[in-house]
Amino acid sequence: MSREFKNRVREQFGRAADGYIHDKGFATGDDLELMVQLLQPMPDDNMLDVACGGGHTALRFSPLVRSVVASDLTMVMLKKAQEFISEEGGVDNVTFREADAEDLPFPAGAFTLLTCRIAPHHFPDVRRALSEFHRVLRRGGRIAIVDTVLPDDPEIAAWYQEMEMMRDPTHIQAYTEDAWKEMVQDAGFILHETATVPKTHDFPTWAKRAGLNRKGIADLNKFFVEAPEKVQEYYHIETFAGEVEAYTDRKVLVYASRPPKK
Amino acid sequence: MALSKDLLEILVCPQCKGVIVPDEKHEKLICQACKLAYPVRDDIPVMLIDEALSLD
Repeated sequence: MSREFKNRVREQFGRAADGYIHDKGFATGDDLELMVQLLQPMPDDNMLDVACGGGHTALRFSPLVRSVVASDLTMVMLKKAQEFISEEGGVDNVTFREADAEDLPFPAGAFTLLTCRIAPHHFPDVRRALSEFHRVLRRGGRIAIVDTVLPDDPEIAAWYQEMEMMRDPTHIQAYTEDAWKEMVQDAGFILHETATVPKTHDFPTWAKRAGLNRKGIADLNKFFVEAPEKVQEYYHIETFAGEVEAYTDRKVLVYASRPPKK
Repeated sequence: MALSKDLLEILVCPQCKGVIVPDEKHEKLICQACKLAYPVRDDIPVMLIDEALSLD
């Protein structure tokens, strides 16, 4: 990952850290519960949560597993996550590491469970990150990745990509469900299941969380209002008196595992 | 500040994936092969190649 981009990520998430910790969409959500359901965490699991953000995934899993290592590229984010988890109390099995998803500082086969939630669209090289996930996961270990899905329709996909670039300078690329299936299998995992779940965003909160100023929010509002009809339909864009109130995107969940030893 | 032995066991140099050892004051984690020192800030190891200090 280039130093320049990494610094941009740090700046962005350093500034927005509080917004992520207290965001309901990250703290709870159908995608998080589906992750728990599919991964079936066990008391002897050693888990790695890559790009932990506000620490919500680590916190949800921590009572269910032996240990959680939560890693992120942004120290400010890690400290906020650490604070947030210690405020919850009674959690003593989560540790924090500043790390790059594409160059993980863990030995091969160190974990039995790996999660990465709503983060890969910030990774410059997702295939490289997947190969690192494969390396640090023990044979037979389970992995679940959640990210915003890129729509199959090229026109809607192009609108989405342009919109995210306006909102978030650290957005790189979202992928379609089919692209995820291919990348995960190419990395050597056995693909078990993919699912998509809708996620509704309160537009003002969501736009502010990325650190946009008033003009930025107004421009984004205009971009939504003027979106082609099929985009409006796909994202269930809800407006009132010319102001966007909410929209709904879809998250893809990919559940896979590293093949067991033959 | 002390990093527990268990935790060090699951950390390697992100560049060469080789062994790292804490320095005497447990303020840095050293990779002898890469001649890099990874800082530890507020008990959080900073395991980024770009942030590591060169030992040369």
